[in-house]
Amino acid sequence: MNTQFKKGILEMCILSIISKKDMYGFEVIDSLSKEIDVNENTVYPILRRLTGQGLFETYIEQTNVGAPRKYYRMTEHGKKKLYEYESEWRSFLGGVFRLLGGNINES
Amino acid sequence: MKAKYLNELKDVLNDYRASQKDMQEIISDYDQLYEDALASGKTDDEVWQMLGTPREAADELIDTLQRRKEKNIKTKIITVMPFISLIVFFVLGFYKDMWHPGWLVFLSIPMTAILLQARLKDGIVALMPFLSIIVFLILGWGFNLWHVGWMVFLSIPVVAILLNTKLKDIPVAISPFVAVVAFIILGFQYNLWNPGWLVFLIIPMLGILHEKNIMKLIVYELSFALAIGFYLYMGYVEGSWEYGGIGFLLPVSMGLIFGDVKFQIGNISVEERKKAITMIGVVIIAIGLFLALGFGLSGWAWAWQVFLLIPVVAIILFDKVRLTALMPFLAVIIFFSVGYFFDMFHISWLAFLLIPITAIIENA
Repeated sequence: MNTQFKKGILEMCILSIISKKDMYGFEVIDSLSKEIDVNENTVYPILRRLTGQGLFETYIEQTNVGAPRKYYRMTEHGKKKLYEYESEWRSFLGGVFRLLGGNINES
Repeated sequence: MKAKYLNELKDVLNDYRASQKDMQEIISDYDQLYEDALASGKTDDEVWQMLGTPREAADELIDTLQRRKEKNIKTKIITVMPFISLIVFFVLGFYKDMWHPGWLVFLSIPMTAILLQARLKDGIVALMPFLSIIVFLILGWGFNLWHVGWMVFLSIPVVAILLNTKLKDIPVAISPFVAVVAFIILGFQYNLWNPGWLVFLIIPMLGILHEKNIMKLIVYELSFALAIGFYLYMGYVEGSWEYGGIGFLLPVSMGLIFGDVKFQIGNISVEERKKAITMIGVVIIAIGLFLALGFGLSGWAWAWQVFLLIPVVAIILFDKVRLTALMPFLAVIIFFSVGYFFDMFHISWLAFLLIPITAIIENA
């Protein structure tokens, strides 16, 4: 699959999981790699890029063990972007499934 | 291992001229990722695999970096070097009539940039072509040692290997170059082309030392020693070198018996092996071409330029292909060829201006 296309999907997945709950870097990598075959070393750069674009904000939280952790929280701008991505993605997938002669819900 | 990872990452980010703020943030984040990954039960190797090598990680991060602008003393020195060189060149030329070898001052332009900008290890490797050229020309013009002098170019790959290879792999890695030098000396000085070629056997004999099975190691080394002994005996005592060659069927047979006639240094991928084979090929071609041009056309004075092919090919194979990295070598070839063949050293130095021009165009 095209690398840029894969990165686009990965960005949407990262936006989606952080929209559900604030997460720290390793937690994001771990959650993603449990569900999809992902090149793990691309996750942190995407987190950093999306934070730079204002889709996430970060804050530090103390932990019981070890150093304090940096958490990523979705911003309002991030929520809007995720909505846009999801709409585009669902429309794209719908088209693909229609072409393949199946239904998006059958998967 | 964590400290090593973070240090390497910092070095690469520094090479990419990441701002201090970006570097601190990224290093702190990777420190945290590393710790969390270890705490989840991953080994250091697994963490490295997860995060990617420091260079891979930095490559992924490159578009998120704010580059720092260096306006320090080093940059200023590099900027004024072409003008200083030009002034020194004219002073030497007009007042001392030393257009040649006064042109050598232009080598100070790339050398200064390398000294001031590259990290120590990379700097030494990058400086070697220039130092080799200077030593070669001094040997040639000063002592008419064009012929033996060309061997200084072998120091370019040897130094790169010494600085970038693990200690235990160094003897094997430099053995081809040591063998070439020994072979040339034996051939030219003592007319011992045969059996001088036997020195090339140090390459497989040292390579076998990596074998963990002691018995196998001893058998291989003994088979080589016996083959060499037999070859020398047949040649010197019986006067029959050709029959002496039969002895080398012994180590080959051992290779067939053990099922590994091929020797391999470490675990390298097919891609890396292709690159290594290409490099060895280029070294052999360069030496062959140099000797052919030297003997065929008495071109000892200029044929040395074929050795610049070695670092050029190495840059193309092992680094990102950037004209800025290749330009110092191309500039040296243009400068020397125009100067030597057309006796235009007073103009050919202009070739060195290609180095900063290329760097500006490519990095703009």
